[in-house]
Amino acid sequence: MNHFLEITGYTIRDQMRNKSFYVLLGLCLLLVLMIRGCYGGQYVVNGKLLDNTMVAWYVSKIVFQVIASGMFLIAILLSMKIFSRDHEDGSLVLFLSRPVFRHQYVLGRIAGTWFLCLVFMFILHAAIFLTVWVKTGSIIPGYLAASLVCSINLLFIAVSVCFLSLYFPDFISAVFTVGILFVGYISDGGYQILNSQILKTAVPSAAASQPALWRILYPKVYMVQAYADSIINQSSFNNMGPINPMLNVFIYIVLITALLMMVFNKKEI
Amino acid sequence: MIVLNSVIKKFNTVAAVDNITCRIAKGEYFALLGPNGAGKTTVVRMLLGFITPDSGSIFIDSIPVSNPEARRRVGYLAEHHMIPSHLSGLEYLRRHASLIGFSGKDALIEADRLLEVVSMKGREKEKSVAYSKGMKQRIGLAAALLGHPKLLILDEPVAGLDPIGIRDVRNILESLRDDNVSVFLNSHLLSEVEKTCRTVAIMNNGKILVKDSVQSIIGDGETLEDVFIKYIQKEI
Repeated sequence: MNHFLEITGYTIRDQMRNKSFYVLLGLCLLLVLMIRGCYGGQYVVNGKLLDNTMVAWYVSKIVFQVIASGMFLIAILLSMKIFSRDHEDGSLVLFLSRPVFRHQYVLGRIAGTWFLCLVFMFILHAAIFLTVWVKTGSIIPGYLAASLVCSINLLFIAVSVCFLSLYFPDFISAVFTVGILFVGYISDGGYQILNSQILKTAVPSAAASQPALWRILYPKVYMVQAYADSIINQSSFNNMGPINPMLNVFIYIVLITALLMMVFNKKEI
Repeated sequence: MIVLNSVIKKFNTVAAVDNITCRIAKGEYFALLGPNGAGKTTVVRMLLGFITPDSGSIFIDSIPVSNPEARRRVGYLAEHHMIPSHLSGLEYLRRHASLIGFSGKDALIEADRLLEVVSMKGREKEKSVAYSKGMKQRIGLAAALLGHPKLLILDEPVAGLDPIGIRDVRNILESLRDDNVSVFLNSHLLSEVEKTCRTVAIMNNGKILVKDSVQSIIGDGETLEDVFIKYIQKEI
């Protein structure tokens, strides 16, 4: 346990030493600062002045998803080189020539990367939350809780990329993970649209059919995002299948991590 | 101290280590010699648990090497020692010290002591990317010596060192003799082995051809190099 925490700490420090980390952080903060202007504008539609709080609420919801998606990419970039970099620079030998279990090393590396991404995403979401508060005087309840809900997706991404990087080159494992997310977004996004109230009202005949089993069992990354959205909206959530998407993603995390450790334990160094 | 029982390791169909049985006593300075591809590094990697034998068993202090506890009092120096480029020598040593149980302040004291031993004091705060191969090797040796190990596994420890560095390593190893430290040395520098180790084993094609004390296997007027060549040629 102690070594796990130590390696988690080292991972956070090592990742923060990457220049690319600061470039990404800078770009994200720039984005957040740029959209700041949206909250102070006067919006007139059909000659009617829109409520500033309402505009801020919609903008914040969109930015919430943009930040989360950006963080998915950052999590992929930070995770894809964990094992290959450690192998090349001697970190792997540093840890494993000491009384460190391989699972402590693997879990420490993943936990450190995930924690860093989680904090990074939370800071960006908190910046939006505070901007709305300062500019409009109103708070968006559930915004920060939704950010924490999304962080389970970051963990899923980190373990997936790490697992795939044991079999494929880093770049391929990153592309593969993006592919997994993309398929989920298409499948679950389509389901959400077909079951949305707007579509049902506009086209009453467009009844959504029961999704195929693979779609129900597929990693529900998109659905977790939709669930987080419902926390911000404080509305009901249109789930696919009987399992909550967070539980679905959690099960995948456990399974992939178990596989990852089984494979890594047999890996020759 | 180290026990290898009928150890076999194959890569595809080639046996890198072919049914080796060997015992290295506590306090023994042991050298494993052999030409390139003989299987020496495979033995070292198995001792450290980096790879698993296909059959047979390996123990350090009666603990199977599959258990990381076996490495608690083991210091290891790799042939091409690598230090993460973003770490300084001191940070690297502190990480090692922390992993074997030193707390923050003690880790610093221990690292400081060993920087002095390997003559790297004054350069310890530079990033390792600025170190020469020999300097990295010295830091690696310091890392191996952290926490007063009971077993040192050194894979070509003098590779990349200048003559002064080679002499320093020899002196450091000599100074450990009184502490009952065992040394497992992989080296091509036979003259150094002759000066440092009391027991040698010559290995080729995954097999140990001979294992005995240096005095016993070297005949009159012979050097270790002569003996080495004789055994390897006989094998060919």
